[in-house]
Amino acid sequence: MKQKDEQNQDTILFVGIDLGTSRSSICASNQTREWIESFVGWPKDFIAQQVIGKPVLFGAEALENRLSLDFYRPLERGIIKEGIERNDEAVKEIIRHLIDLAKPRPGQKIHAVVGVPADSLKVNKLAIRKAVADYVHALMVVSEPFAVAYGMNLLNNSLVIDIGAGTTDFCIMHGTIPSEEDQKTILIAGDYIDEQLFSYLSEKYPNAKFNKNMVRQFKERFSFVREIPEDISAEIPVDGKPVMHDIKNEIRRACESILPALTETTTEMIARFDPEFQVKIKNNIVLAGGGSLIRGIAEYLQDALKEYGPCKVTCVADALFAGSDGSLKLAQDMPPKYWETL
Amino acid sequence: MISVFSRNSELKVREAILKGVYEENLVILGKGGSRRTKQSLSFRKRFFVFLLLSLTALFIHENYVANKIFPQEQLTANTAARGAVVRPGDTSFVGEPDASLYNAFLGNQEVPLSRVFGLGVQTIMIDAGHGGSDSGTRGKMGTMEKDVTLDIATRLKARLLRTGKYRVVMTREDDSKISLSRRVDMARDAKADLFISVHLNYLPRKPINIVETYYFGTSSDDTAIMLAQKENADSEYTMSDFKEIIEKIGKTMKLQESKEFATAIQKNLFLNSRQHNGAIQDFGVKRAPFVVLLGVDVPAVLAEVSCLSNREEEIELASEAHRENIARYLEAGILDYLDKGDITHEAKR
Repeated sequence: MKQKDEQNQDTILFVGIDLGTSRSSICASNQTREWIESFVGWPKDFIAQQVIGKPVLFGAEALENRLSLDFYRPLERGIIKEGIERNDEAVKEIIRHLIDLAKPRPGQKIHAVVGVPADSLKVNKLAIRKAVADYVHALMVVSEPFAVAYGMNLLNNSLVIDIGAGTTDFCIMHGTIPSEEDQKTILIAGDYIDEQLFSYLSEKYPNAKFNKNMVRQFKERFSFVREIPEDISAEIPVDGKPVMHDIKNEIRRACESILPALTETTTEMIARFDPEFQVKIKNNIVLAGGGSLIRGIAEYLQDALKEYGPCKVTCVADALFAGSDGSLKLAQDMPPKYWETL
Repeated sequence: MISVFSRNSELKVREAILKGVYEENLVILGKGGSRRTKQSLSFRKRFFVFLLLSLTALFIHENYVANKIFPQEQLTANTAARGAVVRPGDTSFVGEPDASLYNAFLGNQEVPLSRVFGLGVQTIMIDAGHGGSDSGTRGKMGTMEKDVTLDIATRLKARLLRTGKYRVVMTREDDSKISLSRRVDMARDAKADLFISVHLNYLPRKPINIVETYYFGTSSDDTAIMLAQKENADSEYTMSDFKEIIEKIGKTMKLQESKEFATAIQKNLFLNSRQHNGAIQDFGVKRAPFVVLLGVDVPAVLAEVSCLSNREEEIELASEAHRENIARYLEAGILDYLDKGDITHEAKR
């Protein structure tokens, strides 16, 4: 059996992919772990192609050169954006690039598990499958928070909350594959914080010039809820001159704007279960995704839920790779007979 | 010992979860678990399945006799009175219509003309509203009408095919944009006998959940009166007059049948939905100039099966069970309209 496993490992590269609205990551059975920002850009014209020297750019590099590119952030709320054909192509490019980053050996088959938002309708899952299918030999699609739960061995009596850019996904694990009732997706997530922050800063500093990308960077660098002792200021140009601006209150307000929906949905999800299990689930709540990096968010949720009894909220150790790690584990544990028929 | 037991138990959980992931992916691919792992059933399992099937059969029989899902008192007068109406399959009608039937044809708008002529329905076309870049309405949580309508339409198709009596075609089976005129052409090309378009409502100013069903026409009653006048007129027809009459009969039949069809759909949709959601409101059967209904030559309705602006309903629509239920109610409406005289008009799980 062990020999067979080794043989499998040799001929098949297992990969777990977390296809995120903001960042996408891949973990492979050859120990590769890579991530990119989910941006794709193609040079606008011949001159741009000469200057850039590449047919397509990804992630931070694409973002940096976006003025010379047909620039796409193809995922919205964790699914492929509608209406623009090139978004499909952009998702395919991201997948191809991620798989290239995993460095499969020539001739090696690729078996992939891809995480998608928990509540994705079948048609969205099919669209993701279509985008990935060209580059892998066998493929399974799972819900993102479920992949996180599986990877962390949280198979029973736990609640995983994956706070991404486009969606916040909730998944209750109770010893079986979660059904639709065990999962929920809300659209109050990182992008929502960006919108709030953009609006608060525009209101407070009408003369300052900033864009959505800068706002996202402020959030990723400074995000927090409740009180923190230090001041937060950021450099934002006014009439072309860089000027330091105090943005602490705005960061806090924007980050805290997701908390009511987060708390409400968490209590709603837990309340669906038998009271005996509710206690167990409340003591096993795990936050994942980029949103779990917001300082104080776990403590806030823990305090907010205390009125319903004692509870424990923790954050995953590696927010960037928790989803793809779990997907990889699923891919590796999946019996070969299941892969064969897909 | 305890740790070995707990490890074995965890392994079993893990195996079940992996199998579940596999089966879910089969469903996404539309293979619906047909290639699930082959495992022979143990005697106990077989006995349990047998017992379950027996109980189900008993339940269906009980429901049929008592008509629990659509109690007689809740049926519209029109549908309730249909016991006296000749059904499409009844061949005693074809060939020799008697005087009372002729009078019914002329004066009684309650009798559908297709039944007077013994016309049958072979092909049902289901139109999933919107698609592609046209996402239709969108709920506050981002649910798009086009996805839900496609899902419900696909489920409805599967349910109707299971009856084994109809050919069922869809205007779209994936997330593609199809113009209204193309949908009309598709219905003609497929020689559809019945057309149902599935949509979701959106009422931005009212936080309520409603169901309503539309058919096309300015006034079906006027058209019926016109037909009666023509039939009663004592004159000789020219060929062009005859053509005009035939056209008007065709138009009347479509309107009359569409109204009947819409009534059956609305009744089943509302009565069944209300069992799960007491707050749902019945906005009834309405006429409106929908292009897709105008163009289709056969009985055609547009059903607004749910309301995306209602937050609770949007949450419900995310559940597969709820979407399957809506498909079930539509199936019940279609079969109720066709009224084949057997139990199939009852919504079955």
